[in-house]
Amino acid sequence: MAAIDALMKAALALPILVVPAKASAAEVGEVGITLLGYKERGLMKVTEPVLWGRAEFLDAWEVRASAAVDIITGASPQLVTNAGGKPVQSISGASINDRRNTGDVRLTRRFGDFSLSASRALSKEKDYHSKSFGLEARWDLNQRNTTLVAGYGASNDRVLSSDDASLHQRRDTREYLFGVTQLLSPTALVQSTLSVSRGRGWYNDPYKLTFTFFADGPPILMADRRPDHRDSYAWLTRYRRHFPEAHGTLQVDYRYYRDDWGIRAHTLEVAWQHALDERWAVRPAFRYYTQDAADFYSPTVPRPQPAILASDQRLGSWGGVSPSLRIIAKLEGGVTVEGTVGYVHNARNLHLGGSSSEAFETLRAVYGIVGISRPF
Amino acid sequence: MKLAAWALAAAALCLAACTTVAPYQRGYLAREDMALDANPGFAKAIEKTFAAKEAASGGASVGGGGCGCN
Repeated sequence: MAAIDALMKAALALPILVVPAKASAAEVGEVGITLLGYKERGLMKVTEPVLWGRAEFLDAWEVRASAAVDIITGASPQLVTNAGGKPVQSISGASINDRRNTGDVRLTRRFGDFSLSASRALSKEKDYHSKSFGLEARWDLNQRNTTLVAGYGASNDRVLSSDDASLHQRRDTREYLFGVTQLLSPTALVQSTLSVSRGRGWYNDPYKLTFTFFADGPPILMADRRPDHRDSYAWLTRYRRHFPEAHGTLQVDYRYYRDDWGIRAHTLEVAWQHALDERWAVRPAFRYYTQDAADFYSPTVPRPQPAILASDQRLGSWGGVSPSLRIIAKLEGGVTVEGTVGYVHNARNLHLGGSSSEAFETLRAVYGIVGISRPF
Repeated sequence: MKLAAWALAAAALCLAACTTVAPYQRGYLAREDMALDANPGFAKAIEKTFAAKEAASGGASVGGGGCGCN
């Protein structure tokens, strides 16, 4: 009964957007470390440790922070060429060895039913620097059955190149966020957010080239050229419903994305977190993604040569599936240990509707994430 | 604008359709597996992994910054 009482107190004290309440009223924070390992077949390998934490203090304040290092090794597609007849990706000869250091901090102050947050994020790698900040306001309404959120963010980035020391270009982005979270019943809630992004600056990928041969003329080698702006919308809806009799929770996320490059994308993730007992839980999940190609995507250079063109297959038309399984263990002292294994399969025939990009080369990858966290 | 109209319509429908949940009824809603943003370390790691391979990204927050991965 004491645990239930404490759980109820935690639920009543917190706004609905910070629903992951811990059971013990004495807890004021949490710290954790997570390690990601990701490996593509024949291409890149990524290792990423993430250290994160959160703490509440002086009754009305909360701070969240994280720091991560990405270590990227392996090969990357650099050139798309039809030298063999059909356009294919050509892998760079030199092995990539990059490292990205990133960190962010977020400070929140509550004023009754209002809360204001300010955040700062920094990211640095040898060919890309990013500095950003965000402001977010939340308002709990209707006896905290409804929460409205509005946010503004700005990012000032610099694009560099390991191959071209003279490249030093800006990319500035402004973001706006509007959303609502609603309790639907004692066992269900939904959140829907719309984010709008306005980007200006350098979007060309300094490492991508398109080399096209013609039967009746000289070949053309063209560097990656993209528009100098990118405006996008992302509409994300998340639904959670707990089934007490089944000891499980349904988690559904759907995102619709579109931008002025002509890309339309749908992302759907469905997961079922099942409590095996008080200590163990499993979470099988399935993610599906599909996108239409950018207007300027082409694996070959047409004639006459256009001003903008990119053969990067990430801008093509394709789809992908990713099943995963997470195992969660609750140990003594509130310590949580989690492990996830997942598989990524991106292919042109997984594209939803319409025609997919013929030149898209199937990507297969596996990943694993392990993490441990504890309250304090 | 069409997208914004759909978002507002969905929000209005949601607000009209749901019932009020009293504070003492929120025990299940406080469960960790009901969280919209679960383990921050997992979320950061996996979101960035997918964002590096896909053209679409974002939706849940603002001010997160960019990376040279896409």
